[in-house]
Amino acid sequence: MRLYVYCLAEGVERLNKTPPGVSSASVRIVEFDEDLSALVSVYRADDFHVSRKNALAHHEVVRSITEQTTPLPARFGTVVTIEHLRKYVSTHHEAIKAKLAHVRGGVEMNVRMIHSFATADTSQEPENAGGPGTAFLLEKRREILRDEAGAAQKGKLSGWLGEKLGDLIKEEKITITPSETVILARADHLIARADVQEYRTKMAKAVEERPEIRFMVSGPWPPYSFANIELEFSSQFGVS
Amino acid sequence: MSDFDQIIVGEEWENTDLSLLETLDHVLNRGLVIAGEITIAVADIDLIFVGLNVLVSSVETANEVIRKRQATE
Repeated sequence: MRLYVYCLAEGVERLNKTPPGVSSASVRIVEFDEDLSALVSVYRADDFHVSRKNALAHHEVVRSITEQTTPLPARFGTVVTIEHLRKYVSTHHEAIKAKLAHVRGGVEMNVRMIHSFATADTSQEPENAGGPGTAFLLEKRREILRDEAGAAQKGKLSGWLGEKLGDLIKEEKITITPSETVILARADHLIARADVQEYRTKMAKAVEERPEIRFMVSGPWPPYSFANIELEFSSQFGVS
Repeated sequence: MSDFDQIIVGEEWENTDLSLLETLDHVLNRGLVIAGEITIAVADIDLIFVGLNVLVSSVETANEVIRKRQATE
């Protein structure tokens, strides 16, 4: 039997008001020990379609359980056998428990930022300079400059957000996507659920200070961006 | 509406389409990856299509915001 997995969670005794899962399947609990469990549906390949409807159904199940406890949401499309799931939980047990403890009582907030600026200065670059080799090197140079600008922006942004949000941030992940005319940045914050209103208030004030940047703040979300344990597991335990 | 998924700051960004895109972005690109025999996802053309829609729409939305801003300056 194969299972579609929505999330791992602790402290789930029963499912209250849990919506239908993917393909309208009922959602069940698989218990691993006295406190750790997974929310799953029985997976039937014939009934399952990768669609917007099912992606949203996945999220609705995760969201519903977040009203009871803070889960580790699984990525959409996770299908395993019951044996594989039990083996995974067994071999990753300590890391899962540590991650659940880390996100307990927390929610994820996201800040997206767009900062546009003048087109990159190419006046230093020679016109009609050479053949494809030169063009390749010039492009590599631009690429390196973009990467350097992105790294610098990442540090600045983290510092600025830290200054504005202070102790509200339990964990932060920043992604920068620089181009020649715009920087797209995304900050994911893990904060305490009780701090959501304060986070919103502080971000609203911060947004007013930076009219040159366009912001979108969303949340609270289940901690999708803080759920993955593979990297931590590899680095902490030397096993992947 | 529950307290989840609300777009709380955002001028032109504030609409339900973006809330949907944000939801799909979380579900498709983030979350716990259980290594092994998973992933109906990656090889499935439909999912790639959904993912591309999210990406393209996000970039288009970003560009539209920039164009509006530049038009008012």
